Amino acid sequence: MLRWALLLLLLLLAACSKGAEADLPSIGEARSLAAEWALVNEQASQGHLTRHYVDTMRQSCREQIETAAKSLTQPQSPYGAEIAALLREPDDASPTVLRAHAIRLKQIEDSLESA
Amino acid sequence: MKPDAQIKLVSQLLDLPLVDKDDRWCGVVDDIELEGSAGRQMRIKALLVGPGAYRGRLPAWLFAFVCRVAGDRVAKVPVARIEKIAAVVHLDCAAEKLGLHVTEDRVRPWIPHRGAL
Amino acid sequence: MNPLELTLGIMTAVGGFVDISELVFAAQAGSNFGYALIWVFAFATVGIMVFGEMCGRVAAVAHQPVFNLMRHRLGLKLGFVTLIASVISTLITTSAEIGGLGLVLHYLTGAPYLLMAAASVVVLGASMWVLPFKWIERTYGLLGLMMLVFAAALVAIHPPWGEVARGFVPQVPQGLSTKELLKFGYFAVAITSAVLFPYEAYFYSSGGIEEAWGPKDLTTNRVTTTVGFALGSLLAIAILSMSAHLFRPLMVGPQLPGTSALEAAIPFGRTGLLLALLGMLIAIAGAAVETCMANAYSVSQFFGWEWGRHKKPWEAPRFTLAWSAFLLVPLAIVMTGVDVMTLVEYAILFSILVLPLSYLPLMLLANDKSYMRQYANKWLAKGLGWTYFVIVTAAAMAAIPLYVMTAGGQS
Repeated sequence: MLRWALLLLLLLLAACSKGAEADLPSIGEARSLAAEWALVNEQASQGHLTRHYVDTMRQSCREQIETAAKSLTQPQSPYGAEIAALLREPDDASPTVLRAHAIRLKQIEDSLESA
Repeated sequence: MKPDAQIKLVSQLLDLPLVDKDDRWCGVVDDIELEGSAGRQMRIKALLVGPGAYRGRLPAWLFAFVCRVAGDRVAKVPVARIEKIAAVVHLDCAAEKLGLHVTEDRVRPWIPHRGAL
Repeated sequence: MNPLELTLGIMTAVGGFVDISELVFAAQAGSNFGYALIWVFAFATVGIMVFGEMCGRVAAVAHQPVFNLMRHRLGLKLGFVTLIASVISTLITTSAEIGGLGLVLHYLTGAPYLLMAAASVVVLGASMWVLPFKWIERTYGLLGLMMLVFAAALVAIHPPWGEVARGFVPQVPQGLSTKELLKFGYFAVAITSAVLFPYEAYFYSSGGIEEAWGPKDLTTNRVTTTVGFALGSLLAIAILSMSAHLFRPLMVGPQLPGTSALEAAIPFGRTGLLLALLGMLIAIAGAAVETCMANAYSVSQFFGWEWGRHKKPWEAPRFTLAWSAFLLVPLAIVMTGVDVMTLVEYAILFSILVLPLSYLPLMLLANDKSYMRQYANKWLAKGLGWTYFVIVTAAAMAAIPLYVMTAGGQS
């Protein structure tokens, strides 16, 4: 019984840990959203999408990235700055620019995961 | 199976659905009333149907909650009204004659009687 | 066996197989692990074929849906626990589907998401009121065949077919870190849960009663659950494969349910996008109807109420009130603004926890010769059934630890 209680406590503590590792899910989320945003803009520029879809997907991407940014435990970190820079991009930003943000976030993600 | 045969109360009767002579669902066997006494042959006297029959089968707090939500009504289905016991208990008369279907009939006027194909 | 009925049954199963959980997890599985999780979809699909066939057989032979006899098998107390657990998990699933409907309509029309969620509940409720059971099932199932655009898109993008085929072989990718292994495990559990959702058993077995199945329909049942579910599963695998081929190289997660529609837009442009969104709309709507009715079936059957859409709504008044409530309560949950992806994750999690309790009575019933006579489980159904029961029980035990350790598959 005591063993199970300790295990549960450890799991809860692990889930609540502060620091960069705790921000990994948010970084990954922002990275994916940047890539999705880039893909939407790329397909939109090729005339493959409807106006409503483009507008709503861009809006959803931005809202979700904002949520991820707000949940960071270290918003002043390099990844926090990168996500803030991503949010400053206009809705119709170039796919190349947006993917560059995604690549940088992926690099940060990988380095944190291997640390 | 006929109701006067030997029967395993829990595995062959308790918690079986009830169906009346018009093939309408009219409750579940929530408990069983027996007649006889210890050391003598026990016979089924009636099936008890309704939330009030959950007493003793649920924890007291849960029974109190169920009664608060659904009432504590119990309908008794005399064993003579059982035609057959199979995957369901078949009754030989309409549900209303046994005090079943009461809530169904009470709720029916709330439902608009139109628009369905 | 009527060939037209059989064809319709298969097509209905195909169109009705995918719901928002499968859409989300198939796309995320492909982008995270390439083709390596295809075998989990295939493996879980065999499980739902086995249990689905059993549900249909019990309905056709014992003329009882599973939940009717669940209370009889488990007793009142454990039956109550099962009822409450399955109602909660299915309620969350309905909320996820309604939220998904609101989102898809938002992508299609630009109208506010919550308004679209409310509007979709009105349409769903109207369809369930007006249409008898057979036409509810056929309408959503057949219109859901628009999802075939994903299968066509997979062919159009020329994926590495060798790798797709190799994905059907049970595997764990080489060289994964501990975190990635845990994430892989989480996805395997989540996919199993999404494919084996308990509401599918309740709905399918009750549907067999609604359609007055008898022993003559056993072949239809067997063909529908094998061919229909297999083809439906291939749609989910198509979504996964396209995500592996298109999204993974671009680091797309994906985080938004609408991103899956890009899989059809990339090869087919606007037409592909619209077909994908409409297919998703109908597939999710069908799932919303199924989950809502499954809950109404469960409650009605547990308490012995009149039930079924083969009756007019006023002929089964408490059942009608039940499905109305099971539409409105999820809408209320969606109106709180909770994220649809969060609802999907919780739906998956709660459903896997309920799976063992849901399928155990089915196994006991389908094995019972006193109900099933010569149609009781033979060695193959028995063996497969108990094997999958052990697997879903193990998955249920692993679900919460994996969810916590991987932050819901995010890390």
